[in-house]
Amino acid sequence: MTATKRITIKATRFDPDKDEKPRLQTYEIPFSDDSMVVLDALNYIKGHVDGSLSYRWSCRMGICGSCGMMVDGVPKLTCNAFLRDHWPRPITVEPLNNFPVIRDLVIDMDDFMHKLKAIKPWVIRKQPVPLGGGAFVQTTAQIDEFRQFSQCINCMLCYAACPVYGLNNEFLGPAAIALARRYNVDSRDEGLGQRLPVLADAEGVWECSFVGECSVVCPKGVDPAKAIQQTKLDTTMRFVLPFGNRD
Amino acid sequence: MPRGWWTRRSNYFWYIVREFTSLPLALWLLWFLLEIRRAQDGPSGYHPHSSLGFVIFSVIVLLFALYHSVTFLSLAGAILHFNVADRPIPSQLIVLSQFAAWAAASVVVGFVLIYFAR
Ligand code: SF4
Ligand code: FES
Repeated sequence: MTATKRITIKATRFDPDKDEKPRLQTYEIPFSDDSMVVLDALNYIKGHVDGSLSYRWSCRMGICGSCGMMVDGVPKLTCNAFLRDHWPRPITVEPLNNFPVIRDLVIDMDDFMHKLKAIKPWVIRKQPVPLGGGAFVQTTAQIDEFRQFSQCINCMLCYAACPVYGLNNEFLGPAAIALARRYNVDSRDEGLGQRLPVLADAEGVWECSFVGECSVVCPKGVDPAKAIQQTKLDTTMRFVLPFGNRD
Repeated sequence: MPRGWWTRRSNYFWYIVREFTSLPLALWLLWFLLEIRRAQDGPSGYHPHSSLGFVIFSVIVLLFALYHSVTFLSLAGAILHFNVADRPIPSQLIVLSQFAAWAAASVVVGFVLIYFAR
């Protein structure tokens, strides 16, 4: 019988009521199966070693976007980060960068929620269409215009990777802008004029200096950096072209 | 953000290098404007700055300018978005067209400078 491999997980512990600053706690756990991911390791710790460890998760399959953490300094979905890629080295798991920490590995996402609301992430019509008015018909090409940006799962990895947001968290940020673009280029939407004041604000797209790391870490291929640069071009064109100021 | 954040990942590092290149580039261009001003009195009293130190600085600035231009133009594929007959033009083609336009502009500017300097 072969002995089960073991792996060391160093996880951030922080209780704002007791601790002055976060610290790392080391756990050694069995690495019994090559398909194990970091989230499995955290679940093992919570179930068998230390039930007080706090973190968020839900779907275990890269859909809900709630399990984002820093894994060895890189923002990742922990349900998609395999232990085998790190073993036999220890793995350090920390809360996502650039956000306040509520407890252990749990971040406070309120800032993003306000930003998300500000860009009105829904289809806006100038004249509401009555329920019996029939379907909005779209061609495949029209859907392709926004499909990529609609894949965002609000996991916040892009905010954790963005040094601009880290230095100035007034910045609207990658996912909010990508989602604004998702609606702005949707043929059913007429809300560009309502979103533009937020997007073209000093803390909007122009705050971005194109580091590009948001697109590197995005687990869904949303490419928020592209959305931001395209929005910059759009807002500029609307400003300089006489016929650009359409609404 | 911790101090030295930009040394932690290679992408951050190269981003800072890219941003930094504009500083020496701006200094060199300022000097260039001064030289143009000095040259307006005609060739007789004009002695361009040509110390070894300055030549080395100019070569370094040229490398910086190339790095900045190449990274900037390579990003064009992510920014520009055109549809032809309802299909998006591939981003590689857009990047290629940017480099072609850059090469063409360099030839034209080079030609004008050499032609008028004679
Ligand atoms: S853009 Fe990508 S990284 Fe950012 S929140 Fe959406 S899915 Fe996550
Ligand atoms: S648990 Fe849902 S994305 Fe990881």
